[in-house]
Amino acid sequence: MAVRVLGWLAVLALLAGLVAGFGYAPREAVQGNVQRIMYLHVPAVLTAYLAFGLVFVGSLGYLLTRRPGWDRLALAAAEPGVIFTGITIASGSIWGKPTWGTWWTWDARLTSTAVLFLVYVGYLLLRGMIDEPDRRARAAAVVGILGAANIPIVHFSVKWWRALHQPSTILGPEPSPIAAPIALALFVNWVAFTLLLFYLLAKRTEIARLEDMYAG
Amino acid sequence: MPDNWSYVFAAYGLAAVVLLAYWRRLAARTRDLAGQAARKRP
Repeated sequence: MAVRVLGWLAVLALLAGLVAGFGYAPREAVQGNVQRIMYLHVPAVLTAYLAFGLVFVGSLGYLLTRRPGWDRLALAAAEPGVIFTGITIASGSIWGKPTWGTWWTWDARLTSTAVLFLVYVGYLLLRGMIDEPDRRARAAAVVGILGAANIPIVHFSVKWWRALHQPSTILGPEPSPIAAPIALALFVNWVAFTLLLFYLLAKRTEIARLEDMYAG
Repeated sequence: MPDNWSYVFAAYGLAAVVLLAYWRRLAARTRDLAGQAARKRP
């Protein structure tokens, strides 16, 4: 019941995000309406960071306690994390074509995000290759912990290396230069994506719990 | 710069398709497991 309510809240928040991104936020002066991809691209990557942060917490929790609930949390967060990273890469690529003139470039931010995506695809593949639950959970936990090291690399890549990608305008050291209506639309979409993540997480955790019950 | 609406719709459309496909996959798996539970009950 609570999961269903969370799902509907996520749907309503996503609709509010669309209204904020397409109705409330103004047309950007330089890029025009193509900038509206930002209301998808930025919340997607922030949600992916959060999901992989939860994989890290679940992995660490499992290695410290050996309780399967932590492993289920890590698994349940990894799948949406991969999906949100995929959406980040795809939307960024689509945004890059009209603004940079290319779908893809081996820029530090793009490359490190692609590595992040592949690390967690590898994490899921690894889980599928090991049948014994404790061995699977231990191996996945090690990858889940090591993989999290890539999150700060992705985030600070635009600061550490010369990059085509713009520097961080939110979660950066300086106050954000974004205009208030654009910042608000971004915030609404970020809340919506976070709610969606928690809904997917709750559903996937319950599936993992039932799978463990029937397997055991 | 031109508005490039087709790129905007492509990005949002792709995200919607991917998220919907994942949600449907989770819903199908939930139904499958619920069916298994019902069959196991005496």
